[in-house]
Amino acid sequence: MAFNILVADDSGTMRAVIKKTVEMSGVPVGRFFDAENGQEALGILENNWIDVILSDINMPVMGGMELLQEVNRNEDFRRIPLIFITTESSEARMDEARRLGVAGYVKKPFMPETIKKMLYEVLEKAYQHKAEEAPAAPADDDMDF
Amino acid sequence: MDEELRETIDQTFGEVFETMFFTFLDPMEELPSRAELVLDDAYVEAVIAYHGPRPGRFFLYLPYRLARNITMNFLGVDEDGVSDEQALDTAKETANMAVGSLLGRLDPEGTLKLHIPESRMMDGLPADELLANPGLRLFNTDFGLLWVVYEG
Repeated sequence: MAFNILVADDSGTMRAVIKKTVEMSGVPVGRFFDAENGQEALGILENNWIDVILSDINMPVMGGMELLQEVNRNEDFRRIPLIFITTESSEARMDEARRLGVAGYVKKPFMPETIKKMLYEVLEKAYQHKAEEAPAAPADDDMDF
Repeated sequence: MDEELRETIDQTFGEVFETMFFTFLDPMEELPSRAELVLDDAYVEAVIAYHGPRPGRFFLYLPYRLARNITMNFLGVDEDGVSDEQALDTAKETANMAVGSLLGRLDPEGTLKLHIPESRMMDGLPADELLANPGLRLFNTDFGLLWVVYEG
């Protein structure tokens, strides 16, 4: 079973790096979707089946915290786990994200292994039946670029 | 610039360049004189501000060749695969990551909020003006000097 993954970040290069990191993690990917901000992400959610969202916090138009709130407000979307990949690294911001129900939190700068580990944890928790069909996570040393 | 801020700048910028771009920064303990400096022809400027009880902003000046090199390493492509647009975007993201990480350490309560970074190409550098700025920190790299200026 492959997962559809939505990557929301206003930096195109960062989105490319995150997608490459996910591809190399061994997680089976059906399709990637790109959004430059939270509002674009919501539009994609309205029209596509998404299994997990990887989002920045600090974005123009609509930031990641607001996106998380909107996802949680919507009955159709609240099943979708959201992982923040962000420079916002204060304890206060992470506490706020946890209160809003974020599934995972990765600080930039990140090691590829950190994203892989977080993604597997979140996917296994959210989609245990699917994850069991997926290949086991490769060893960390398989993540070299 | 106080010592805690200088050390945190060295740590956070060093971590971002090493972790994301496989590029090592060597902080300069003493500023060179204008006569000792060899400047590049083209630079990328990235700016990021933050607001809150103690607002401030950071300016980064990367030699164009450094901006291209870290973009190559970031994306895992060769030089032909890097556009100016991507180099500008990487410079913005560098400012975002380094200053976001820095604020996370200096402001654990999260009272300071980052703005969206901006970047632009520059012909040359106002070196005299920058050397006179008390918020300047310089780093040696394999692709020229990285200039970081703090205003707060």
